[in-house]
Amino acid sequence: MAAQKPPNAPSGDDEPAPPDTGMGMTAVAYLFSGMLVWGAIGLLVDHWVGTKGIFAGIGAVVGIGGGVYLIVRRLGA
Amino acid sequence: MIGQSIVLAADVPFPPSVEDFYLPSILPWGEHNSYWFTKITALLWISVAAIIIYFLVSYRKPQLVPTKKQWIAESLYGFVRNNIAVDMLGKRGINFAPYLTTLFVFILLMNFWAIVPIAQISPNSHIAFPAILAVISYVMFIYIGMKHHGGLKYFKHALIPPAPWFILPLLIPIEFFSTFLVRPFSLAVRLFANMFAGHMLLLVFTLGGFAMLNANAWFAPFSLVSWVMTIALTFLEFLVICLQAYVFTVLTASYLQGALADEH
Repeated sequence: MAAQKPPNAPSGDDEPAPPDTGMGMTAVAYLFSGMLVWGAIGLLVDHWVGTKGIFAGIGAVVGIGGGVYLIVRRLGA
Repeated sequence: MIGQSIVLAADVPFPPSVEDFYLPSILPWGEHNSYWFTKITALLWISVAAIIIYFLVSYRKPQLVPTKKQWIAESLYGFVRNNIAVDMLGKRGINFAPYLTTLFVFILLMNFWAIVPIAQISPNSHIAFPAILAVISYVMFIYIGMKHHGGLKYFKHALIPPAPWFILPLLIPIEFFSTFLVRPFSLAVRLFANMFAGHMLLLVFTLGGFAMLNANAWFAPFSLVSWVMTIALTFLEFLVICLQAYVFTVLTASYLQGALADEH
């Protein structure tokens, strides 16, 4: 319906690749997800073992590590 | 005029609360236990009707040299198709351009009611509307992914990142959480919260002006500042309206891109 032609190649040679706006959100989602998921699992472990939050802390740190790793693998070059 | 406003404002509740988002019933008028048709419902139907009628009318007799109406409709479609769909999804993006355009225009118009005089509330400030839109995006990207990769292979593609086997147990829960739980939730909440907060902000500054005026006549200059702020915030709200419609559409396209992506 539009009179304009769609661009020939989304990332042609003459122009830089389009910025993927969704990528930032994905990265943030990975960071938070990592922290929340493994933090929550750590909290459950805490509850089970009877400690006061040491596993939640470890879980959150490990989870963030996993999130960073995922960002590098999924979104990195 | 101002005297009248003060009398009117005497029973204006301050601070505004969530109750202010639940508008009285229109049909039947003023009913207290039947909320099937309120201003929110009316705005929804007006939005849907306006979009359908506008696009039908503006493209009824397409001209080679477009009229103004046709030009606006074509620009909207062209913008979403070229700058969102094709940019993010490549050639396949053209297939999704109609849906993405509908989504963009619908959210834009629904949000825009927030600053239209008399309407002045966006249906999207109720979580139900963004939630349904997010569910549509969610079901769509999973369906497209399953169609593209073939059934359950999509979930293998989505959940198992390219990584050595021993960290997979660490990564798969994160992938599952961020792809299948956070996505629909954040889509819905982002739009809802922006529209909710925008409406609340305008209410606070408008009603705050009245509240200060009622409290003490000497506060009149501050009320004036408050109302000037309301006008400034209305422009900010316009920015948020356009931005959130764009963000929702771009994120939907981004999720589709993820579902259509091949192994790398």
